Amino acid sequence: MASQGHCLRFEGCNFFRQRLVLSTLSGRPVKIQGIRVKDESPGIRDFEASFIRLMDKITNGTRIEINETGTSLYYQPGLLFGGTLEHDCNVQRSVGYYLESLLCLAPFMKHPLRITLRGVTNDQMDPSVDVLKATAIPLLKKFGVDGEHFEIKILKRGMPPGGGGEIIFSCPTRKVLRPVLLTDPGKIKRIRGVAYSVRVSPQIGNRIVESARSVLNRFLPDIYIHTDHLKGANSGKSPGFGLSLVAETTEGYFLSAELASNPQGQGSVVLPEDLGKNCAKLLLEEIYRGGCVDSVNQSLILLLMTLGQQDVSKVLLGPLSPYTIEFLRHLRSFFQIMFKIESKTYEERKGAEKVLLTCVGVGFSNLSKTIK
Amino acid sequence: VKRIKMEDKNKSSTFEMLAFADSDDDLEYGDNEKNGEEEEEDEDDKKTHVLDSGNCTGEDGVSSDEKDMEPEDEDSEEMEEVEGTSDEEEEDDDDEENLLKDDDDTFIEDHTASEDTVGALKWKEDLKKKAAEVFLRHQQSVPNLRKLVYGTVADEEK
Repeated sequence: MASQGHCLRFEGCNFFRQRLVLSTLSGRPVKIQGIRVKDESPGIRDFEASFIRLMDKITNGTRIEINETGTSLYYQPGLLFGGTLEHDCNVQRSVGYYLESLLCLAPFMKHPLRITLRGVTNDQMDPSVDVLKATAIPLLKKFGVDGEHFEIKILKRGMPPGGGGEIIFSCPTRKVLRPVLLTDPGKIKRIRGVAYSVRVSPQIGNRIVESARSVLNRFLPDIYIHTDHLKGANSGKSPGFGLSLVAETTEGYFLSAELASNPQGQGSVVLPEDLGKNCAKLLLEEIYRGGCVDSVNQSLILLLMTLGQQDVSKVLLGPLSPYTIEFLRHLRSFFQIMFKIESKTYEERKGAEKVLLTCVGVGFSNLSKTIK
Repeated sequence: VKRIKMEDKNKSSTFEMLAFADSDDDLEYGDNEKNGEEEEEDEDDKKTHVLDSGNCTGEDGVSSDEKDMEPEDEDSEEMEEVEGTSDEEEEDDDDEENLLKDDDDTFIEDHTASEDTVGALKWKEDLKKKAAEVFLRHQQSVPNLRKLVYGTVADEEK
């Protein structure tokens, strides 16, 4: 990870999105080498190529050089432009893979971003659109990103391997971000969820809801899980079902968990009852880990804190995920910012150990945005 | 988990068995208690940098002297010892002493000297309680996350 002059150099295919997103925000070019050099099919995969194309779409003046084998990439970021766009996401990864990065970049566009993404809306790998809608949007609102057209809309659902889903993400722009103090997570107030099913019996949704409730009802009464059964053109190309749960705390923070059925023709058949129960248990695990932000959004909040005004931001998180730890290292490489990290244990010893992260924002401001 | 097992073994077999080499030294013990308080009080103090993750014993955090490392080695040796002796229910005190002395060459000198005095068996008192306290200390030791994330550079820059 030695930086050579202005350009940052990295090795390997890991944390691909992190590097390109941070490069775009900081304006520092990156060179990524040795991408899957020892793999049977070396070089960047289709979903990564699709991601690069997306980055190219939302920016203006980006220079991308990829060598013949695809094992080496040079990325010189342009300006974040935005506007009304659409993108066909590769079905190897879900729309969440692309949306996660867009959430990091969207507030800093020249023109408000309104993008239609097509592909897989729910899979087992990436955070689903449902979860990002329920957790990432309120998180961005805490930083002062808000407005009429700030939403994620699911028009069609698509399950792997076929995909065929469609969503619209629109986000207003901001010149600067507010610093935040998120230190008291509060207690769990209510649980909401969506049990979705496409191209399977509509009864499956009810079975998921019932089994998830059987676990969660023992802890609190305020549980409401919607069933979302889509038909016809809105149901994508492959059958499947799943559940996403979100717990809201008294202080207005959201913790999420989700599970999806195995893609058609892969793995064993998943019973809706098992899926519901396991997902409820995953939510309990997430609540045990606790903090003001769940593990899916840890890196997003750290990025927003980094980019905030030159003031102190604090956040209490549960145990840091490996992805977040690497993200902290990348933040240091790109923005020369280091967080103060303290472990916190409480006298009641409820849940896992918490981590309090503190930083002073770099005072990032959206230069592309015209001042009215 | 290992430690809990040992506690149980102590309960079942002879009580006067050395379970924790790092809890037998009163001087060291007092030190640790003091440090435990410091841990909570001033986190920004230099001390916190030395503090280590819960994977090591508390002693490693207190000071990085060789002295402190040795009892840790002793610990594992004695664990085997405990397992060995607990099978044979009847065990002379003398035999046990000899066994211990064999291992004792890595120990601090004045320890063997004190065995001849009145307080010779002082280290054997409250073994269970000491073991429990050591266990709790392990559980509560605070890892230096900043160091884990950023490496040693974090210390220099501070």
